[in-house]
Amino acid sequence: MIELLTFLCLLLGAALMLTAAIGVVRLPDVLCRSHAVAKALTLGIFLMLMGLWLQLEDPRQGLKIVLAIFFQVLTIPVSSHLIGLISRREMSPLPSAPPSTENKPRTIRP
Amino acid sequence: MIAIVIPIAFAMLFLAILLGLYRLARGPTVLDRVLAFDLITTCAVGMIILLSIQWQTPLFLELILVFALLGFLTTVAFVGHLRQTRQPPGPPSTPSSPASPGAP
Repeated sequence: MIELLTFLCLLLGAALMLTAAIGVVRLPDVLCRSHAVAKALTLGIFLMLMGLWLQLEDPRQGLKIVLAIFFQVLTIPVSSHLIGLISRREMSPLPSAPPSTENKPRTIRP
Repeated sequence: MIAIVIPIAFAMLFLAILLGLYRLARGPTVLDRVLAFDLITTCAVGMIILLSIQWQTPLFLELILVFALLGFLTTVAFVGHLRQTRQPPGPPSTPSSPASPGAP
């Protein structure tokens, strides 16, 4: 049971990190990429560290795992936020045109 | 079971590092490269976790902490450096060919 939970955590975490990498490659802008990194990567590394915690024999080592989880969850969004701040100040990646207020019929994409 | 799952996860992280290296080589701006480096560092932490499970040793926990700390420290130092050196805002450099967003 513990092993099954561990493998589930590991596979989900690795898949989320791969998702973050795909987002970094495919998304068009710096802000979108920082968004992908901040969310998917944080949850992925959190799940992988939980899998390592389930696999440890000495439960006293879990304190370092808790410290690592706390640190990763605290620092990855902070770094992404800093990158977003610099990007917003320098690059102005948002479209400068105001949104049109005309009532256009919305086409629902399939 | 453990011989099946760990190579799969390791291959996923390897592919993630390759994609991060692609973005690091072809990033239009410096910030893309910093972001890709952050991703690569975190994927390296995941690889250390997998090795620690494979070898059944708790010796790598300090290594995990040090790697996480160094990744964050490099990002913060680089952003601070950019913030100091790029006070006059340059010409807005938009990405040349924005990729098509994926299907909703």
